[in-house]
Amino acid sequence: MAKFIKKMNGDLITTERSARLSFLKERAIKTIFFCTASLAVVVVTFILLFLLRDGYPIFVEVGIIPFLFGDTWAPTAVPPLFGILPLIVGTLLVTIGSIVFAVPLSIGCAIYVSELASPRVKNVLKPAIELLAGIPSVVYGFFGLIVLTDFIRVAFDVPTGETWLAASILLGIMALPTIISVSEDAISAVPQEFKEGSLATGATRWQTISKVTVPAALSGIAAAIILGIGRAIGETMAVMMVAGNAAVIPDPIWNVLSPIRTLTATLGIEMGEVSVGSDHYSALFGIAVILLIITLIINLSAVAILRRLKEGQYAHTDRKPLIPDTLRVSLEKVAKLILAGGLVVFLFIAAPWYIAAATLLVVGAWYFGKDRLSRMHIEKISFGVVSIAAFIVLAILVIILGYIIVNGLPALSWEFLTQPPKDLGRAGGIAPAIVGTLYLVAGAILIALPLGVGAAIYLVEYTREGRITRLIRNGVDLLNGTPSIVFGLFGFAFIVLYLTVGVSLLAGQITLALMILPTVIRTTEESLKNIPQSLREGSLALGATRWQTISKVVIPPAVPGIVTGAILCIGRAAGETAPIMFTAVVFSTRFLPDSVFEPVMALPYHLFILATNVPGASTNQYGTALVLLILVVGMYAIAIIVRTHFQKKSRG
Amino acid sequence: MNAKRSSYLLITFSLVAVVMLALAAGCTGNESKTPAATTVPTGSPTVIATQAPVSTTAAPVVVVVPVTPVQKQSIKISGSTTVLPIVQKAADQYMANHPEADIQVSGGGSGVGIQAIGAKTVDIGMSSREVTKAELAKYPSFVVTTVAQDGIAVIVNPANEIRFITIDQVRDIYLGKITKWTQITGANVPNTNNQIVIIGRDSASGTRAYFDEFVLLKATPTKTMLEKNSNGAVLQTIAQTPGSIGYVSIGFVSEDVKALPIWYNFDKIVAPTLSNVKSKTYPISRDLYVITNGQPTGLAGDFIKYILSPEGQKIVADEGYVTIN
Repeated sequence: MAKFIKKMNGDLITTERSARLSFLKERAIKTIFFCTASLAVVVVTFILLFLLRDGYPIFVEVGIIPFLFGDTWAPTAVPPLFGILPLIVGTLLVTIGSIVFAVPLSIGCAIYVSELASPRVKNVLKPAIELLAGIPSVVYGFFGLIVLTDFIRVAFDVPTGETWLAASILLGIMALPTIISVSEDAISAVPQEFKEGSLATGATRWQTISKVTVPAALSGIAAAIILGIGRAIGETMAVMMVAGNAAVIPDPIWNVLSPIRTLTATLGIEMGEVSVGSDHYSALFGIAVILLIITLIINLSAVAILRRLKEGQYAHTDRKPLIPDTLRVSLEKVAKLILAGGLVVFLFIAAPWYIAAATLLVVGAWYFGKDRLSRMHIEKISFGVVSIAAFIVLAILVIILGYIIVNGLPALSWEFLTQPPKDLGRAGGIAPAIVGTLYLVAGAILIALPLGVGAAIYLVEYTREGRITRLIRNGVDLLNGTPSIVFGLFGFAFIVLYLTVGVSLLAGQITLALMILPTVIRTTEESLKNIPQSLREGSLALGATRWQTISKVVIPPAVPGIVTGAILCIGRAAGETAPIMFTAVVFSTRFLPDSVFEPVMALPYHLFILATNVPGASTNQYGTALVLLILVVGMYAIAIIVRTHFQKKSRG
Repeated sequence: MNAKRSSYLLITFSLVAVVMLALAAGCTGNESKTPAATTVPTGSPTVIATQAPVSTTAAPVVVVVPVTPVQKQSIKISGSTTVLPIVQKAADQYMANHPEADIQVSGGGSGVGIQAIGAKTVDIGMSSREVTKAELAKYPSFVVTTVAQDGIAVIVNPANEIRFITIDQVRDIYLGKITKWTQITGANVPNTNNQIVIIGRDSASGTRAYFDEFVLLKATPTKTMLEKNSNGAVLQTIAQTPGSIGYVSIGFVSEDVKALPIWYNFDKIVAPTLSNVKSKTYPISRDLYVITNGQPTGLAGDFIKYILSPEGQKIVADEGYVTIN
């Protein structure tokens, strides 16, 4: 008996010890995840501090107000003038232009894909649009430089096609896939009952779409547009190649055929040549700070707008309106009239009179004729317009891909893929660039994946929403919106110069890893959230610890989602130029790197250099563009296949 | 359930495999570096093209085949994109004669090059502008070597009927005083309104610094000037824009553009050719430099010697720059 009690006691002690051990283990694991999650916040703070450190002298030297509102950017004049107003205006105008171009097209396309397209068409169209997102920005820039600017020059009979319009169209095209995918998701997520209810009351399909489905998806569509704006503001390489880069405010301000220069392009153009530590150098970092602050403002206001939209959708508050209803209605009428009048006047000033008159005629006919048309006719017209939008998007994809494939195919050969470049890239191959890109991407994903997955696990599994998670989320969002050129500058200032790592593979991998981190976190979070709560509860109820639950129950079914996210990140990292051009790449090297402290060649940079610095290399330019395209689009295609595979599985 | 799990495994494994493949390629690369000279039969391009995605991922394994271990010696060079073609070509030649040498050349710009050599992250910096006093004060041990001379050609689109131009006219165009080609005798761009499109380099460029100082006499060019960040980009834009004018290193001039002879002192018209730059009759020329931190030694010293040798200077001439004696 005594023996038995002793044994029992022993058992108890060991269980107690193991319980304490496992408790400690749980604590440790939680701490690790917390650290990975707070990394995003730390990185954002770090980036801002570092940019401020290098940009601070210019704010002291010039003063914040003259820096922001000075209208001349002439850093090499005597005395130098560091006014960035034209650059800020340029950034805003290009962004507005791209949104005006992209939003109608993408919403039309999203409606078509989610509501009108037959399943077979949808299965083709949706991945095609996502592939558009996979085209590297330097390929867009290359296309814009050679095709788009020339087209604009001839079509509008202007001296040069490198204009606000060219930049806006190109950025609009680049923003299309983001806006379409996200708003299509939002529209598809509107509950079926809404539509059925509307149709049951006798509304036509178009009435249902325009009055019920789209308004219900409004907050998602708004989010999509905001993401698109973020993409447009942060873009460097493409804008730099087509905008002309004259630091002027268009005169008159709506002159879309004026050259223009953005904040990002200024960084991309001037950063490489500037003497480190000079006023000009710190002015460029000052620009980066301003760029980051603009991103911050957009992100925060986006969050605020979305919250308001959501509130407006679900609960009508009982707050008393500020203005009585009757007065408000008449006020609105007056405001609408003024707005319409203003638009008409603007149209006649800005555009040639015949275009203005034609627009006015069409709008007027629509406005007055609308009520006389039958609902069915309206539906037909609207569906026609929506289908045209989808068709245009597809046509753009076909044109870009077709152009690059047709011109790139002749350059492709076994030698091109396996040999190092010769004669400055005019001859020989691009093998070291392909390998270098793979190295960069592999390193970036090895760094970003554990950190990102850890952060997502902490956010979803270990915490409730609170101040800290909100802070972390804001950090992640901000990191997501940070222009890639800012990552490049940070990598250059911190990793290359401050840590004296030098231009190296490692510096590029870390910079790229930071850039893709938010995407990893976001996609992982989404797939973790999709795991039903009941699975976790079941596991915990059986006595499993939290870590056991996470590692054995939650993560395995979330793996496909995480893998999809990772592949998308690989695609993005492979196509980026701006973050690596000051941190990791060399123009040409015969050998592959020995260690991570050596620089590499990379495809996007090679293409950029061939397109801008080496005359007479056009065949290999197209070849490089094609290989880069195949690599990145291939990654995206894999991601799409993986996703549909698992979607089918989870449904079946 | 089982099938499901196995497909997760498959995907995880394939992801890991991709990473491992890349790493493995790196490891094989570690042991020995030999130029990727494994000759491969060239197939018909169209056939290969359809297999391109496969070949791209397979490339690292194919390329790096260790043959004989050689003691590798490597130096890094970084800086001006104007000097880059000379140094890159010289490096290619030099490495062909010295299999153990690995010379990595990167662009980035004069500023990056000077900063990098100052911080000793590279062995040689390239610059197309003079090292500033501030930079010299910061890095007093700099040794600056002139490796070539460069003429700067004023170029226009071939559609322009202009045959020569004076420096004053160039200055007036860049300062915005002349805005139409019709204001210059002999110039006309058919089928356009003769509006001049001014193309220049970015304000951090060495070429721009030189041009602003010696052609514009330190005045600031008009704000409507389009800025490009490389010789190639200027060339590309001029070639596809009928009414444009720009300036590039003579080495970059091609048939796609028209390089204008300069009419100066009202008595001679000088074409932007190498011999005219060398004899100093062409007025717009400057020096190109490589910079070392302290006297160059070892591979770096030998390589600079090679660039200055007759063989190296032949490359300078081949790339369209002017040799030094």
